[in-house]
Amino acid sequence: MKPSKGYLVVASKKPNFYSLAINCIESIKDYYPDAKCCLVTEEKFLDGREYVADDLIFCDDHYRAKLWGMANSPYDITMYIDADAEIEHEDIATVFDELDGNDMMFHELDKKYNKVYAVKYFTYENVKEYYTYCGGVCLYDMRNPLVKDFMNDWNDLFRKQYSRELILPMDPWQLLWNFDQTTLWYLLNKVDKYKNIKVDSFKDNLRWNYFPHYERFFNVFPKDPIIIRHYSSYAQKDKSYA
Amino acid sequence: MTDVKRTWLKNAFWETPTKELLNAISEHKEGFKDVRQVHKLKRGDPLFDECVEELTLEFIDKNTDDRVNRKFKEQEQQRQLEINKRKAQKLEELFNYKLETFEIEDIKESKNRILKSKLRRSKSIPEVNLYAIMIIQDKLENETE
Repeated sequence: MKPSKGYLVVASKKPNFYSLAINCIESIKDYYPDAKCCLVTEEKFLDGREYVADDLIFCDDHYRAKLWGMANSPYDITMYIDADAEIEHEDIATVFDELDGNDMMFHELDKKYNKVYAVKYFTYENVKEYYTYCGGVCLYDMRNPLVKDFMNDWNDLFRKQYSRELILPMDPWQLLWNFDQTTLWYLLNKVDKYKNIKVDSFKDNLRWNYFPHYERFFNVFPKDPIIIRHYSSYAQKDKSYA
Repeated sequence: MTDVKRTWLKNAFWETPTKELLNAISEHKEGFKDVRQVHKLKRGDPLFDECVEELTLEFIDKNTDDRVNRKFKEQEQQRQLEINKRKAQKLEELFNYKLETFEIEDIKESKNRILKSKLRRSKSIPEVNLYAIMIIQDKLENETE
């Protein structure tokens, strides 16, 4: 049986994220009309535009309900995309080929561009480390039960981390505690259970998650046209964010 | 002054195309101290001749050319970054403008996927406005039918 494949977008906490998520899903369908898209959002945000999604799942109002959404994807193979991103190219349809035998694929945080990243380096038990992957986009295959466990643990652990129930031996913790990247790094690098999980970054890394900063500060572009452009300004405009 | 034993750093360059003013850095010892001095030397100054003699005219000419090319390249890169910065900023502003347009009630309620897609792909604010009007017109026409 062929695995089901689809795109997942999550909007929680901020009403603006709902608008962004709708825009993101519509932009997927602009370039790939047959795409299966799942919207994970809070019921209170619905305004009729949710019809654009093929699947609708309700989540709570957690700041990072995205992790819960990712763990509860209705698809075998899922391409998670942050709501404040927009699709610009029909190659979005080819994303599932990128998995290429891996369990999970992320956008790599290249050290060359680290001046624009919120956190560059940190220490874990006094050893200098850096974030490798960005959680803004994630392609993953939940036919492997380990990936399902990983997604659940990512969500559970982040919630503990965010509620200060869990403090990892990482420094400066006051800058790291509210990043889901922190939990991602910890699970991939320090938890034995996941040491054999196959993780990689997208081959043409910049095409799959292009931040305006890449142009603004480094004048770098992918060789081929951008597929996913990741904005952030509209999300930040929402003052209701706590 | 001439008693001091100076060495001239290999980065001297002409300040003017007429080669009347030389920018050079020298180093010498004063007791236990290493002293480094930046000079702007006019032709006729004994240090000017000392520096040219040590580094040679050809070397200073070449270094001046290399420096001009390097500075030009840096300036060009800076200019390009400025252009990109403005472009990226405009793109973000356009994205925000589109999202605000999509929040207009009649546009929000429209089911015209083709026109909405055209609006999303618009490259400028006037183009966004044009498709926004078309979406509203389309909605009004559908309501009156």
